[in-house]
Amino acid sequence: MKLSGYQLFWITSISSMIMFTYIPITLALNEARQDAWISILLGGAVMLAVNWLVLRVCIQNEDKSLVRMMKDLLGTVLGKIIVTAYFAHWFLQMSATVKDMVNFQNLVMLHNTPMPLILFCMLFLVLYAVYKGGLTVISRCAEVIGPIFLFTLFVQLFLNPQQMNLKRILPVYADSGWLNIGAGALSSFNYMMDPSIILMLFFFAESKRAASRAVLWGTAVSVAWGLLATLVLLAVTGPDMASKMVVPVYSLTKMVSILNFIQNIDAFFIPLWLLGAFIKLTTCLFILSYGLSEWSGYRNWRRIACALTVVWLAYIIYSARIVQFSYMFRSPWMTGVFFPMLYVGFPLLLWIVGSVRKRHQAAGYR
Amino acid sequence: MKRSILILLCLLSLMSASACTDFVEPNQLAFVMGTAIDQGEDGLIEISEQIVVPSKLSGPFEGGSSGDAGSSVVMSATGRDIFEASEKIQKKMSRRLMTSHRILIAVSETFFNQNDGGKLFDKLGRDPANNLRDIMIVVKGGRAKDILMLPHPMENITSIAAGKELQINGLNKFSSRQLIVEHYTDGLRPLLPVLRMEKIKADDKESRPMAVLAGFAALNKQLRVKGVLEESESFAAVWMSGKETYQGLTIPWKDGHGMLSFRLVRLKRKIRTRSCGDSKCAELRVKAQAYLLENTTSLDMSQLRNMTEVEKYMNEQIQQSFQLTMDKVQRWGPDIFGIGEQFHRRYPYWWKSRRDNWDELFKTVDVTVKSRIQLVSIGSSGGPMK
Repeated sequence: MKLSGYQLFWITSISSMIMFTYIPITLALNEARQDAWISILLGGAVMLAVNWLVLRVCIQNEDKSLVRMMKDLLGTVLGKIIVTAYFAHWFLQMSATVKDMVNFQNLVMLHNTPMPLILFCMLFLVLYAVYKGGLTVISRCAEVIGPIFLFTLFVQLFLNPQQMNLKRILPVYADSGWLNIGAGALSSFNYMMDPSIILMLFFFAESKRAASRAVLWGTAVSVAWGLLATLVLLAVTGPDMASKMVVPVYSLTKMVSILNFIQNIDAFFIPLWLLGAFIKLTTCLFILSYGLSEWSGYRNWRRIACALTVVWLAYIIYSARIVQFSYMFRSPWMTGVFFPMLYVGFPLLLWIVGSVRKRHQAAGYR
Repeated sequence: MKRSILILLCLLSLMSASACTDFVEPNQLAFVMGTAIDQGEDGLIEISEQIVVPSKLSGPFEGGSSGDAGSSVVMSATGRDIFEASEKIQKKMSRRLMTSHRILIAVSETFFNQNDGGKLFDKLGRDPANNLRDIMIVVKGGRAKDILMLPHPMENITSIAAGKELQINGLNKFSSRQLIVEHYTDGLRPLLPVLRMEKIKADDKESRPMAVLAGFAALNKQLRVKGVLEESESFAAVWMSGKETYQGLTIPWKDGHGMLSFRLVRLKRKIRTRSCGDSKCAELRVKAQAYLLENTTSLDMSQLRNMTEVEKYMNEQIQQSFQLTMDKVQRWGPDIFGIGEQFHRRYPYWWKSRRDNWDELFKTVDVTVKSRIQLVSIGSSGGPMK
């Protein structure tokens, strides 16, 4: 299983744009209102910096995946314990994404279809892709879906030209202040992209140079899209209405009306979003089962993927009854402690330990 | 063996992928074209949905007479909120109500004045079955429901007629999305088209009631109708609030003999703000391009001197009458022009302390209207044709 830089670009950009279509924009809008775009810009810059850090760690340990990295640098016990946090994170993220997807479908289109049925179809597909070919299938799919996905998502932002009024983003800064803009940036950046995926996928990359470039480009493209989407949303609806939207980009597509003829573009947006979500979910399932197989020493990660899917399905059906889970992404513990720890804290630790060890080795040779 | 089980599983999941549980054929749908919202009894809300009856609609090539009898039905029900009322309508219907293609939402003036109109927006924004592209209008002097029931001489369905009427006259910023945005914006108040029933003699038979555009209503922050602008004033108000794209204009010439008529296109307006004393002042500038289309005065319009004079006089006239409209709206209070929003953008800190009281404060703000209309063409003949 090898991953080319081009494929990595699509995997990172699709899986981050999937999240970008709703959570970060909403979080930024809630905090910073019409200055949400500044929050997104700042958050995007933070995310790129985090990515750079993560890539440094990856290049330092280019022949190891996250699990081995942790074990080698922090010791077997500590490494294994810390890595479980990443496992939990991937699992929660998968569950949250798929649950949002199912809820959304039930809300918008399939009013009466039982939730487990939709869930089952999606999970079956995801498992099938992972089981059949693992990363090869995922990356090929991403290569095919990616261009269509990216193109449509960019184009649909510009289908509202008559309703846009860029003056709605004024006054800049005065209404929110740095405190709110900063809070918006720091809470939204967590959902812009998932650097922990890189820690796992980088190991599979063919050319490490091309891969690091691909990751940075993938992030940059999705941040650019998110920034644009926020600006367009603000220009079309103004900050007050926008901050009340749960799925802002979807609502935006519903407002499209070109010459009173091209309307209801959401019919394109939803299937595409599903395709994108498929990429994200397969990626998460793959790295989780591969990581678990390395962690436990049980070599057959395909079987782990099967078992995981059963647990996953059960967990979602169980947690669907508990409303608190759906709002976990807003909790300050998640955005303020848990994610920054995973994205910045541990990679930084790995980097420091890795650099110190390298210097030691160099000194030892001398 | 393994393969056949897999194939079976795939086929099974394919069946559910077609979403048969939720499948509604187009002939099981009732397309809602217009919704009327009225004040019901005992504080309830009355919803009336105008639904197309497809079998009664004649196609464009069958020479369907205007106002086909029975091409639409209006169903009403009351409820404590919109959803409850429309569910009651649904119970009486053989088809599923579908609001995604609605064109018109008509709200009676009484409803706005007796209720918190803002509570309509929640349903519009929360339920994905709304498209927010529909036009929102106020119905004056009567129930909104009655407007939907009227036949229209040109179109099959009244809602379509009202929608087209606004669109063809260049009034294009009255969607419900626009209204929600205006309602939420602190320094801007909604301006809504007003429909009224009028008896119109459209053929040699007796005159029939018809829904016609009868001005525009200015609403305040609580969405109460503060005043309805008459026809001539509404032209000024709609232009000054930046919601119109073209318009006709007729003015009498100075000497009182004859009229000049123009087509005005590319209507624009611009608000400038400045500090004056410890308050703020605003200047609203309207811009347009004018094409002379009728001239019953004795002026020879091929003369450059006359052209500049007409242009100057037209600007003076517009400025004068627009200022009157502006003063009138200011006496009512609701800032339909978005002057507060301009203050908000330009002087955000000054605005912060004043935004909650804007309806009152707007009455005292000094707003001057300036007109910069350019005469670009005198039509296809020079001197007056006699």
